[in-house]
Amino acid sequence: MTATFTRRDLAVAACAGAAAALLPRPADAAPPAVGAPVPADDLPAREASWYRKLPEGRVECQLCPRGCQVADAERGACGVRENRGGTYTTLVYGAACAVHVDPIEKKPFFHVLPGAQALSFATAGCNVECKFCQNWEISQFRPEQVASVWLPPEALAAIARKKGVPLLAATYSEPVVFWEYVRDAAAACRAAAVRPVVVSNGFIQEQPLKDVLPLLAAIKVDLKAFSERFYREVVRGELKPVLKSLEVIRASGAWFEIVVLLISGLNDSEAEVRALVRWVKANLGGEVPLHFTRFHPTYRLTNLPPTPLATLERSWQIAKAEGLAFAYLGNVPGHPGESTFCPACGTRLIHRIGFEVLENKLTGGRCPACGRMIPGVWS
Amino acid sequence: MRGTLNRRELVRLAVLGLAAAPGVRAAPHASPVRRGRVGVAPLAAPAGRAVESGSARRAISAALAAATGLGDGRAAVTALFRPEDTVGIKVNCLGGPNLSPRVELVTALAALLAERGIPPRRIIVFDRSSRELERAGFAVRREGAPFLCVGIDNDYDREPSTSGEIGSCFARLVSTTCTALVSFGVVKDHDLAGVSAGLKNLYGLIHNPNKYHDHNCDPYVADVANHPFVRGKLRLVVLDGVVAQCHGGPAYRPDTAWPLGLVAASTDPVAADAWAWKVIDAERVRRGLPTLAQAKRPPRFLATATRYGLGVGDPAAIIEVRA
Repeated sequence: MTATFTRRDLAVAACAGAAAALLPRPADAAPPAVGAPVPADDLPAREASWYRKLPEGRVECQLCPRGCQVADAERGACGVRENRGGTYTTLVYGAACAVHVDPIEKKPFFHVLPGAQALSFATAGCNVECKFCQNWEISQFRPEQVASVWLPPEALAAIARKKGVPLLAATYSEPVVFWEYVRDAAAACRAAAVRPVVVSNGFIQEQPLKDVLPLLAAIKVDLKAFSERFYREVVRGELKPVLKSLEVIRASGAWFEIVVLLISGLNDSEAEVRALVRWVKANLGGEVPLHFTRFHPTYRLTNLPPTPLATLERSWQIAKAEGLAFAYLGNVPGHPGESTFCPACGTRLIHRIGFEVLENKLTGGRCPACGRMIPGVWS
Repeated sequence: MRGTLNRRELVRLAVLGLAAAPGVRAAPHASPVRRGRVGVAPLAAPAGRAVESGSARRAISAALAAATGLGDGRAAVTALFRPEDTVGIKVNCLGGPNLSPRVELVTALAALLAERGIPPRRIIVFDRSSRELERAGFAVRREGAPFLCVGIDNDYDREPSTSGEIGSCFARLVSTTCTALVSFGVVKDHDLAGVSAGLKNLYGLIHNPNKYHDHNCDPYVADVANHPFVRGKLRLVVLDGVVAQCHGGPAYRPDTAWPLGLVAASTDPVAADAWAWKVIDAERVRRGLPTLAQAKRPPRFLATATRYGLGVGDPAAIIEVRA
């Protein structure tokens, strides 16, 4: 567990989040103190919000498209939801295994409060298994295998408020698997004037997505490729439900951005990128920011090279040529593709290097040169 | 598909002298490996009840003798293990006190290993977590006699290792500490895999078993068993079939558990599971339940394990030798 908050922060959170002590817990277990380690052999089980009971004590998860049917004493594919005597429980509610303050550009969001900081948190677990996962040491482990601390939703909001951080980001692993925690943290943040955002793979059923979207200030979706084969063989997921999620998000009016991690030979062909871009334009509109980011070898894909810059630039050009107004590059510090340009007059509006915002010329969400409105969450 | 090894793993295996081990590792002395053969011995006790230690010893010994064709359990253990081995006994305690390997049976096997000259510190009974072991009646013990008993808890390799479709961090007990393994399971139905006996028990060696439940756990169960950490070390499967369960697993269900009254052993891990499949299906038919195949959860991984050359997975081809 790594955290950038201090003991004092936790004390503040403990006071401000006193209501957290009243959170539902198993009848025979007291909640850990705020900021205290979550005992690996006594995880804080809480009934899940999206599932249905089946005959013979089995349950069907209705959170992600896998729809795991889980027998008593077993867990879903995410590893963080367990059937306990016919009741489906989440084992990660309030159990944060990573807490950091990051620039919002790191998520990346380029159209959400540029230069702002986000209190970022995660729990163990994920509902897919990307062979290129950068955070596999938390996403691909079960909660009892990862050190976590008890940070109920109110405590997260209190820490963010105390630090003067305007955003709370559910990120790092996969927020879908801790969706109840996301929901309640988002609600707590709204009350504390902190804006909640989510960084997700979008592999979620429609109802839980719709239930939480109204609470969010923004959501970033990793569109990992534009082929079912890639999703099946490299992600162990499915493309179609992710596309459906993007359409649902678009229809909701929530602010969203899309990231595509390009991996040489797997999802970076010109034809696939062009098909992806055309689908985005046709179904989500030309104003949605689309980020192409560079792959670095990790986890189970250590045999592939980093994405060549030429591949990234080609994809960037395709997106612009196909009519997307806001195409970006990521993990290439100093490249012009990191900055925001006015699609009407070409003025550089936000100058970025890496996660740093060097200059922001936006005025009331508009280009100061030509007045073109730039969509996003700017204030 | 064969497992792949990184350089570190190859060095480790080379040191252990196992890199070339084919299938179930052959005996260091005699030739106790009997493909397709399962030895069974009678032992009766209600679910969750202890058995008398002498009865447990006789049953284990008889099952081992029947499995190997050797004179008794001691001869079988002598043929299968060396005094310099570090033996890991993976028990499956998910079913709690009523459907886990009995402590007395595991203790009896450990005693045979001790008689082989293996000191208590190199006989390690283990499962995924200390808590599960304790819940099943085992006393967690990191030193002392007659054997060590520990949960893996979070002691996994730092890097994942690939075998077929799986990519997992293995328990360091398996990758690094042990030179020989015993899978000590039970005989039970599994909601997804079909059968949980000796092979499915091996899911407890990896950090991410929850990722590998699709398609009746096939090919994943076979992929775990085919990883060199396992394939090169697994010498024996023992199944506590005193009480078995034909439906509703992996958790214990009193209405579908029944007194099978057997302890089974095999040097062929695939045959042991094929035997368990046959036994479970027979009880399901007797109760008017659909067979596992009819219930759409046949243990498909047995065919894959057979294709990998790990043993005999056809229930019809199993030779059951009664003690």
